[in-house]
Amino acid sequence: MMRNGSASKGLDSNPSDDICPVCKSNRYLTPTLQFLINPECYHKMCSTCVDRIFTSGPASCPVPYCGKTLRKKGFHKAFFGDLKVERECDIRKRVGAVYNKRQDEFETLLDWNNYLEDVEGLIFDLVEGSKEDRSRAEEKLRAYKERNLGEIEANKRAGLEEVEMEKRRERAEKEAARQRRLAAIKEAEEEKMDVEKSRRDVLEKLASGEGDAREITEMAQKIVLKKAGARKTANESMSNGSRDPDLAIRGLKKKVAPTTEKPYDPFGGIDLTPSRYVLQDNYESEWLQDAKRNQQHTAGGYSFHEYYARTMFEAFSGLGVFIEDEVGNKPAPAAPSNIGTMTAAVAKPKIKQEFKMELDDVF
Amino acid sequence: MSAMSEDERYRTSTQYRLWSYTPSSLLALRTTTNQIAADRVREAVRRIREARNISSADTSEAENGRAKSVGMEGLVNGGGEVDCLTVEEELKLVEFYCRQTIQLGDHLKVPTDVKATAVQYIKRFYITNSLMTYHPTDILKTALFFATKTENHYFRLTKFADAIGKTKPEDVLASEFLLTQGLRFTFDVRHPFRALEGAVMELQALAKGNVPALPGGGAVDGLRDMERRVKGAHGVAREYLKTSAALTDVYFHFTPSQIMMAAFLIADKELVEWYIGSKFPPSQEGMQEKVLEVLEKCADMLRTVAPNSEPSAAEKKELSGLAKKLKKCRNPEKMDLVALQRAKREGDGEDEKIVKKRKLERETSSKEADDLFGPAIKKEQV
Repeated sequence: MMRNGSASKGLDSNPSDDICPVCKSNRYLTPTLQFLINPECYHKMCSTCVDRIFTSGPASCPVPYCGKTLRKKGFHKAFFGDLKVERECDIRKRVGAVYNKRQDEFETLLDWNNYLEDVEGLIFDLVEGSKEDRSRAEEKLRAYKERNLGEIEANKRAGLEEVEMEKRRERAEKEAARQRRLAAIKEAEEEKMDVEKSRRDVLEKLASGEGDAREITEMAQKIVLKKAGARKTANESMSNGSRDPDLAIRGLKKKVAPTTEKPYDPFGGIDLTPSRYVLQDNYESEWLQDAKRNQQHTAGGYSFHEYYARTMFEAFSGLGVFIEDEVGNKPAPAAPSNIGTMTAAVAKPKIKQEFKMELDDVF
Repeated sequence: MSAMSEDERYRTSTQYRLWSYTPSSLLALRTTTNQIAADRVREAVRRIREARNISSADTSEAENGRAKSVGMEGLVNGGGEVDCLTVEEELKLVEFYCRQTIQLGDHLKVPTDVKATAVQYIKRFYITNSLMTYHPTDILKTALFFATKTENHYFRLTKFADAIGKTKPEDVLASEFLLTQGLRFTFDVRHPFRALEGAVMELQALAKGNVPALPGGGAVDGLRDMERRVKGAHGVAREYLKTSAALTDVYFHFTPSQIMMAAFLIADKELVEWYIGSKFPPSQEGMQEKVLEVLEKCADMLRTVAPNSEPSAAEKKELSGLAKKLKKCRNPEKMDLVALQRAKREGDGEDEKIVKKRKLERETSSKEADDLFGPAIKKEQV
């Protein structure tokens, strides 16, 4: 109730929220005032009024022009401050109990979505529709319920079972986690004890004075290490074994390994592999003898492979380009080439104008 | 997955797209350039003469002074038509100045590829510009300086100018944009030097007989005594690439790979024929013959300038005559590049308006760019 009141106050501190619309008693005067509603008509009234009017059996709603017959049993506290929301939630609950099909009953996702949309349409009619809409929807709901009684019951049971299973699984997982924690604590204690014990043994041996002191300590060290190693492997195998069934999170979709992205290609897929030569990883060259031996060259990032690729490319780039055949056909690039002299030649032989015309010329 | 062959990739280079010509189209371009430049020189000289006739004695004195300073007095004072260089003469002079560039490069101790790149810059520049318009002594310094940059051989500008001697940094930079424009803003020159190393490396590997010549192929039988032959041919080919390839027009007509193979072919014909044979299987019909034919052509072109050859005495005489002739037919308006550059940078009278206009445009456009929806779409000006 407190939550209710404060929520509605937060929304819009409507003073009528604090006054019972039936008996007009005020929260200011009766701080224990509690409002109840009946899902028949969602008219709000205080608990005192409910007691007063409905204790003696069903009666009609005291709100003017409502006239719905209400029972005391049907009254409860509103969960939401906004009664419209309260009503919609109730309707959803009611419809959901009838239309309780699950996705795996449908063949395709489209069918499932269509079903959901139908249900949503029905709910909308019930919540927002006019009187006719509402009665029609109500009728539909009733008809559906009657026709599919068996299925609805079965689904209901299945849903309950699922919830139960989920709960059980959760409990089991919690239990397993607790067990693991306990085991870990026990493990640590055992290890501590072991170390203690071996140390005591060593001290005793040393005290008894038998054998070389260093030999004894070395031996002890070895034993400790061996034990620790054995414990570790045992632990690992155990944790491996326990990992499979319990720790896994259920209900996840199967993961498909993402296709590895190809490295970025700056040339947009143009194939630049040479067609006239095979680039080798190493070439003999008198020029490069010194550079190859001297680390100063490669230290700065100089790559011989780059040099090889470039020289080989230049050796064959354009070998099959026949300028006389190819350039002869293309129009002579006259325009920009003659900037200097051509424009000057066009200029009229007047001195002043000449100067202006030469703007394209540098001087 | 589309395969992109080595040839396909070469076709994406600017050297192929912008700087490859057939001999005839190259000659045609040079001829037009020469004619236009000659017309311009004549026009400029006529203009100066006219201006002089009109203006008073004072100004003519000043004009005179300027002309004198650049050694054009005779030309400006004298009457008659200006005797301009022909295309062939220009070509000879360009080759001469290319040699000079190489010598300058030797003097500055820059690597081979810097020199080769500089020479190609000069050659490319003088396809669309004439020596009569821009004198090569100015251009070659800038070209060499550019080449040090594009070939990743850092050379500080002041040191560069000092090392050349009688040169100020401004002289080097004056034709900077001019050259860039002449190169059509493409600085990439593909040389055959690295290609030669690649071929030699592979030939040595093939000689040892443990490497397939083609993808998917088996090891091939080498020639007799192959290692020694490759070594010998390597040296000869390198010399050809260093000078002959630079001084002839092969860069315009052939690909670096072909130039390299051609130089090899001059050194050891049998070896290259065997090599090409192993690279083009019989399934590629006619390719082998065609490639060899092209290589032969390229080799012929390379042979025209023997490596380490100096111009003969007669040629030297002819060249000095041409240099004198060039002096007389230079465009008087483009003589002093440094002054032109300065004038452009500072902007005099006429220019100022343009500068102001551009500034205004820039301001409005930046203002518009700040707008929520960006600047208005410009209408195409017809």
